[in-house]
Amino acid sequence: MINDSLLVVVLTQAVLYGTPLLYASLGELLAERSGVLNLGVEGMMLFGAAVGYWATQRVDGSDAAVLPLAVLAAGLSGAAVALIHAFLTITLRASQIVSGLALTIFAGGLGLAAYFGNEVHLADLPAAHQFKNLDVLGLGDVAVVGPILFDQSALVYASWVLTLLVALYLGRTRWGLNVRAVGEAPASADAMGINVSLYRYVHVLLGGAFAGVGGACYSLLIAPGWVAGDTLVNGAGWIAIALVIFAFWRAELCLVGAYLFGGLSALPFALQAHDVTVTPEFLNALPYVMTIVVLVLVSTAFARRRLGAPASLGIPYAREER
Amino acid sequence: MGDSTPANTEETRGAGPAGASLAAAVRMHGITKRFPGVLANDDVSFEASVGEVHALLGENGAGKTTLSNILTGLYRQDEGDVELYGEPVRFHSPRDALDAGICMVHQHFRLVSPFSVAENVVLGDHRAEGRSFFVRERTIERRVAELSERYGLAVDPRARIWQLSVGEQQRVEILKALYREARILIMDEPTAVLTPQEAVALFSTLRAMADEGKTVIFISHKLNEVKAVADRVTVLRAGRTVETVDAETATLRSLAALMVGRDVQEARPLEEARHLADVYALEIEGLTVVGDRGEAAVDDVSFVVREGEIVGVAGVAGNGQRELAEAISGMRSPRSGSIRVAGRAIEGGDPREAILAGVAHVPEDRLGTGLAPSLSVTSNAVIKTYRRRSLSRGPLLALRRMRDAALRIITRYDVKTPSPETPARNLSGGNLQKLVLGREFEDEPLVLVVAQPTRGLDVGAIETVHTYLRGEAEKGVAVIVMSEDLDEIRALADRILVMYEGAVAGELRAGAASIEEIGLLMAGGERS
Amino acid sequence: MIRLERRLSQPWWLSLLVPIGSLVVAFAIMAVVLAVSGHAPGSTFRNMIEAGFTGNGAFSATLISATPILFTGLAAAAAFRMNLFNIGAEGQLYLGAIGASWIALRLGDHGVTSTPLFVVAMCVAAAFLGALWALIPGVLKAFANTNEIITSLMLNYVAGYLLTYLIFDSASYWRDVSTLQARAFPQGKPMPTGAEWPTFGSSVVVPLGFAIGLLVAAGLWVLYSRTRFGFEVRVIADSPRAARYAGMRTRRKILAVMAVSGAVAGIGGASQIGDFSHVLDGSPQGLQAAAFGYTGIVVAALARYNPIAVCVVAVLIGGLLNAGFTLQGVDFPSGLVGVMQGIILFCALGGEVLIRYRLRVTRRGRAHADAAEAAA
Repeated sequence: MINDSLLVVVLTQAVLYGTPLLYASLGELLAERSGVLNLGVEGMMLFGAAVGYWATQRVDGSDAAVLPLAVLAAGLSGAAVALIHAFLTITLRASQIVSGLALTIFAGGLGLAAYFGNEVHLADLPAAHQFKNLDVLGLGDVAVVGPILFDQSALVYASWVLTLLVALYLGRTRWGLNVRAVGEAPASADAMGINVSLYRYVHVLLGGAFAGVGGACYSLLIAPGWVAGDTLVNGAGWIAIALVIFAFWRAELCLVGAYLFGGLSALPFALQAHDVTVTPEFLNALPYVMTIVVLVLVSTAFARRRLGAPASLGIPYAREER
Repeated sequence: MGDSTPANTEETRGAGPAGASLAAAVRMHGITKRFPGVLANDDVSFEASVGEVHALLGENGAGKTTLSNILTGLYRQDEGDVELYGEPVRFHSPRDALDAGICMVHQHFRLVSPFSVAENVVLGDHRAEGRSFFVRERTIERRVAELSERYGLAVDPRARIWQLSVGEQQRVEILKALYREARILIMDEPTAVLTPQEAVALFSTLRAMADEGKTVIFISHKLNEVKAVADRVTVLRAGRTVETVDAETATLRSLAALMVGRDVQEARPLEEARHLADVYALEIEGLTVVGDRGEAAVDDVSFVVREGEIVGVAGVAGNGQRELAEAISGMRSPRSGSIRVAGRAIEGGDPREAILAGVAHVPEDRLGTGLAPSLSVTSNAVIKTYRRRSLSRGPLLALRRMRDAALRIITRYDVKTPSPETPARNLSGGNLQKLVLGREFEDEPLVLVVAQPTRGLDVGAIETVHTYLRGEAEKGVAVIVMSEDLDEIRALADRILVMYEGAVAGELRAGAASIEEIGLLMAGGERS
Repeated sequence: MIRLERRLSQPWWLSLLVPIGSLVVAFAIMAVVLAVSGHAPGSTFRNMIEAGFTGNGAFSATLISATPILFTGLAAAAAFRMNLFNIGAEGQLYLGAIGASWIALRLGDHGVTSTPLFVVAMCVAAAFLGALWALIPGVLKAFANTNEIITSLMLNYVAGYLLTYLIFDSASYWRDVSTLQARAFPQGKPMPTGAEWPTFGSSVVVPLGFAIGLLVAAGLWVLYSRTRFGFEVRVIADSPRAARYAGMRTRRKILAVMAVSGAVAGIGGASQIGDFSHVLDGSPQGLQAAAFGYTGIVVAALARYNPIAVCVVAVLIGGLLNAGFTLQGVDFPSGLVGVMQGIILFCALGGEVLIRYRLRVTRRGRAHADAAEAAA
C-alpha cells in the first residue's frame, strides 16, 4: 500500500511534528516583526504544555468541549509569562536577549513548568483527552495525499488557518502595516501617531500565546501526556526561533520550514520502523545541523536583500532620547 | 502684516483667503522645556497666522527643533500653553497633534525605508477612508498621484523609499501631510538636502499651500532662504524668543544680528590665493567606488591635493562625498582607480593601512563612527594610537600615559569636559568635534579628510573649528573639507570641487566662484 | 506619570546597592510564590541556607555545584562583554570533557602516573576542543555574519548527540568494552588513577577545578581591563563602526573572543572529568542533564559580566542548586530552582534599569521649577 510507504509516512509525520513548530514560529514571527526578540519560546512552550494538559485533567466533558478550553488555557499561560518579558524589554528597556533566556529558565523544564506540573502531580495522570485525527470528507485514504492532508487533527488544520490569517494580517491590513513599521522604524511609526509600546506588547503576548499552544501540541496530541523536564518539547522552541529567520520573517515560509524540520525529526522513527538502520544520533542531530546550514545561506544572502530582519529587532525604543 | 488681532473664538476659526485674515492659526505662549543638563526652551512665545509662511530663525541649538517637537506632540512642554485657531490644546502624543491637523517634515525623515511611497503616506492614518481594515493599494496610489500633480511633487507612488533620492523622499514627507489634509505644516531645515534650484521649487510649493489657507512654519538657520520664502520671521537665540519681524523689511544683516546677538560681518570668501608648493600630498586617479545600493557612488574621479592646501568638496549630500571620504580613509574598498598618499599607493579597504599612511578622517557621524559613545574621553582620545609603543607596554595598556595623552588633547583643543573619564556621549556637539579634531591633528597626519565639520555647532564653535582647520593647513597638511554649507566652503577653501552624481562636475578657484555658479554645478548644470 | 531618563553619570554606590536591592526584591517575590503554593517561605529559605551553606559538609557540596558554572559563567561573561552571545558553553563543555578524557586515557595507556601532568594535559586538551567548538559559530559570525545565538545553540544539541554516540552507539576509544556487563550496558572507560584531581582543605573541601576557575577569572580580569586586547573588546562592544574606523581588526577579535570563551567552558568539562565523575558519562542522566551552560549564562548576567563577580555569584547559585538537590522532595518542589533563578534574574534586569536610567515622576504637562532643577 503506497500509504504505508516510507515517503508517505515521513510526510504525514512531518506535518504532525511540524505543527508545534509552526505555532511557535508564527508567534515569534509576530513578536519579531514588532521589533522584539523573544528567546523564551522553549520555556513558554513547556509551560503551555503543562497548563494545557492540566486543563484536560481538571475540566470534565467531551473531547470537543474540553480540548478547545485546554488550548485556550495553554495560550493564556504562554501569554502570561511573555508579559514578564514584554514588561522588562519594552517598558524597562532591558536586554532582550538576557530577558528571553531568563524566561526560558524561569518557565521551562526546570522551572515553572516543572514546579506547576509537580504541584498538581501531572506526571502521574494518564491523558484524559487528546486530539484525534479527523478524517476530513472521508478522504483520509486517498493515495499519498490522503494521510498527509486529510487525516490530521484539528490542531493541524487550525494551524493552516492561522498561517493564512497571519500572512493576510501582516501583508494586507492597516494594523499589519503599522506593526511592520514599528519593527522597521519605530521612530517614524511613533511620529505618525502609532503607539509603539502598545503594538509591541500585543505582539509579544500573541507570540507567547502561540508558543503556549505549540507546547500543548505535545501534551495533547503528539505525546500525549506530560513529563517533567525538557524532553517533552526537546528544543523545538529554539528551532522555532531559527525558523523565523530563514522564513525571511514571512508566515507562508514558516509553514514550509516547519514541515521540513518536522520531517527531519520524524525521520529517525520512521526509518527504524522500516528497518533502515542509521545511527540514531546522526539523524537526531540532522535538524540542528540543517538549521545552521540554512542560517548561513540566509545570512549571506540577506545582507544584499532588502527583505530581512526588521531593522529595529533587538533594540529598545525610547522616544525622548536626545 | 504685523501684530495679531486679539483672540476672538468665532473670528479665528477656519482658513480664509491669504492676506484677508490675520487670524492666528498657532499661538505658543511661555513655552519652557528642560532636558537633563540643558534648558532648550525658555519662556518662548510666537504666533503664526492662517495663510502665512512663518519662519523660525536661529542657530543650531537655539531651540527651534524642540519648540516644533512640542507643537507636534513629540515632547511635552514643562510650562506654557499652545492655542490652535484660538482654542487651547494640550497634546499627549504625536497622534493628538496629527489629529489636530499639524504635520511636520523633519530634517531626518520619518520614513520606513523598505515600504513604498503609498504605504508611507497612509501609515498611521486613522481617519482612513471610512476606517477600512484592509489597505487598498490602488485607491491610495491614485490619491497620492493626484496630490503629486496638484502641488508639483513628482514621485512614483509604487517606488520603495530606499530607491528614491533624498529630494524625492522629502516630497513623500510633504505628501504625507497633504494626504492628511494638514492645516499646519512645519518644515524643519528642509533645504539642507536640496540643490539651490530644488529649494526654489520647494518654496513655490510652500507658497501655494499658504495661498490655499494653510499655515507653513519654516525652520531654518539660513538667512537668505528665510527672506526668500517667509512672510514673518521669529528669531530664537539660546532658547529664548528675540523678536518677530516682517521678512520683507528686515535685512540679512539685521536678521543675522538678531540671531547671533551681535553685529556680524558676512563670511567673506577668500580673495587672495595662497602660495602653495606644488607637492602633491594626495593623488586620486580614476577612482570608482561602489555604494550601498550597488551603484557607482564615486564614478571615475581624479584630483590632487597639495601639501598645505584646503580643497572644498561642495555638493548636495548623497552625490558620492561620503563614499569618497570612506574610500580615502580605508573604510570602503574602491572598485578601481588609485589612491596615493605622499607618493605611496595605498590598497584601500583597510582603515589601519590608511591611518599608518598618514590619513586622518573626521567623519560626519561623530558619535556613531568617530567615537565610542559610552567610553571615556580618554579612551576615545587614544582610540587610534593605543597600540603605539608610547602608549602601551607590550600587550598591556599604559593607563597613565594614555591619560596624559588625552589631557594634552583636552587642553590644547579646549575640549570642555567635566573629567577625562566622562563618557563621550555627555559632551556637547562642539566639544565632541573638538575632541575628534584634536585627536586627528595630534597624530600629525599628511592628509586630513573632514566631512561636515560644523554641522549642528553654534557660531562660536564653528569659528574655532575653522581656525583649527586653517592651522593644520598652515602646517602643511593637505585638507579636504566636504560640506553642504557653501558659505563654509567659500570661507575655507583654496580650491573648490563640486560633486554631482559621483563625478567631479567642476573645479573652481576660490576667489572666482560665485554661489550661483556652484549651485548650477551642484545641480548638474554646465559651467557657463 | 513616570518617565525614564538616561543618567548622565552613574554613582559607584548605585552599582552595589541595586544588585543587592534586586536580590531582596527577588526573595520577597519568591516568598509570595511559595506561600501561595502552600509552602512556608521562612522554613524553605532556612532549609535552603542550611543545605547550601551552613550545614555539615554543605559548603563543600556547594563548591562542587559551583565549579562547572564558574567556568561556564566565565565563558559567557567573556563573550557577552563584546556582545557575542555565546549560548554554546554547554556544548563547549561537553567537547572539553571529551578532549580531557581522551588525553587522560591515552596518557594512562602509556603508563603515566604523575597527577600534575594529567591535570595540565587535560586542561590543554579540553581548552583546545572547547575553543574549536566555539570557533564554528565564531567563524560563521565573523565571515558570514550569521547570528551566533542560534548557531552556538544548535551546536549544543549536536555536541550532546556526539557525546551519546561515543558511549552508546559506537565502539569508540572512550567506551568501555572490557567486561560483558559493560558491553551490554554502555558506559565510558574509567579514568586512570593519576587523573583524579586533588582537593584542598578538610572541613571545607575545595576541588582543584574551583581553584583553577579562580585563576582563570583573575586572568580574564587582567585580559579585559588591562590589556590592549581588552581595550579593543570595549570599543567593539560599544561601537563596531568606531572600532573599524579606528583600524581595529574586528573579525580577528570575534574569533579570539569566541576561542577564549570556548576554551574556558572546555576546561569546565575537564574539571567535570578530573574532579568529579572520573568517566565520560554520555548518558542522558550525565553531563547533559545538568544544564551547566545555561545556568552559566544566568551567573554571568547576574554578575554583570565581571569575572570577579562571576566567582561570587557562581558560589551563590551553586548553593541554590545544591540546596535544590539535597532538599528535593515533597517539601521542596522540583522546578523551584529554575523559578528562583528566573525571578532573581528578572529582578536583576529590572534593577539594572535603575543604574542606567532615573525615574522621574512628573505631573502631566507641568513640572515645578525646583523639581526640574533637582533633576537637571
